[in-house]
Amino acid sequence: MEVDLSKITLRPFKLEDADDFLLCAGDDQVTNNLRWRTLSSKQEALDHIKDVCIPHPWRRSICIDNCSIGFISIFPFSGEEDRFKANIGYGVAVKYWGHGIATKAVKMAVPQFFADFPDVVRLEALIDAQNLGSQRVVEKTGFQKEGMLRKYAYMKGKLRDMFIYSFLSTDLPANP
Amino acid sequence: MEATSVVQLDQTKAKDECLNLSLRPLQVSDVDDFMVWASDEKVTRFCTWEPYTNKEDGLNYIKNTVVPHPWFRAICVDDRPVGAISVSANSGNDKCRGELGYVLASKYWGKGIVTRAVKMVVDTIFVEWPHLERLEALVDVENVGSQRVLEKAGFQREGVLRKYFILKGRSRDMVMFSLLSTDYQS
Repeated sequence: MEVDLSKITLRPFKLEDADDFLLCAGDDQVTNNLRWRTLSSKQEALDHIKDVCIPHPWRRSICIDNCSIGFISIFPFSGEEDRFKANIGYGVAVKYWGHGIATKAVKMAVPQFFADFPDVVRLEALIDAQNLGSQRVVEKTGFQKEGMLRKYAYMKGKLRDMFIYSFLSTDLPANP
Repeated sequence: MEATSVVQLDQTKAKDECLNLSLRPLQVSDVDDFMVWASDEKVTRFCTWEPYTNKEDGLNYIKNTVVPHPWFRAICVDDRPVGAISVSANSGNDKCRGELGYVLASKYWGKGIVTRAVKMVVDTIFVEWPHLERLEALVDVENVGSQRVLEKAGFQREGVLRKYFILKGRSRDMVMFSLLSTDYQS
């Protein structure tokens, strides 16, 4: 399969994306490293889009030819003291892995997010120590690896070592 | 001349190590001792809070934050509180993780007290909280004294988290340290 990366776009989710969203969020391979429960029906996909994706502070569908093949989620921390920080997560349908799509999408998302949330100073990504593909995505998009947090949290029932990466608003290239 | 000063230094060090140190819950009746460190701006330099200026605030803090806290102890020398040490708890998927914090009256700095107190906490917390896998601590990059405490207590330095914290209006880089229950057992 050939993928033309110039055709990758980001946009908010719509209810019409439910079938495509299920291909991604209904797949254990994609959700293994995410906190959300794998979805198992079109109804659940519709509910998730309505209750989570659409009201979300910053979630975008990763699209090829306007068809949803993945998502990027950036979540500012809650609480007065933590609003300057946010966390990024993303997933791409398995059949589209290996083409640099997540890297392209994250590269597009980061400056858009900082423009939308000017109070956020630090964007962080917590990535399972064994998830090499995702580590490569953040490294190629300019996140800085800060260290490994040993036995940091449970995900899907397993205690995980996680690399912590950050991208600061000051890391953005200066405007020409 | 040199020999005498070396002997004096050893005697001071030996005295410090003999200090009768204990940990116990901090109570409302300890408020005057609490105010000694809580009102000291040397102590609060790396704390999110400003020095306490009145006893009423101190009483409220002890009643509303200390008493219901999952794990909070006064650090005592000869049974008098000279500081505090605590471990915060998390829930759900983060239950494996607790964060260590501590504070000590400046008059008692430089005697290894906090290092000893941290070791005492480490000796008990993994037993009291069997679900705890990871004890972590975040220290300002400029707070070298506190970094040394954790290193001496056997914590591993994991990295510097950039602009991780806002301290009194300024973003700060923080050093992340951790001690795992498996580190402790070995």
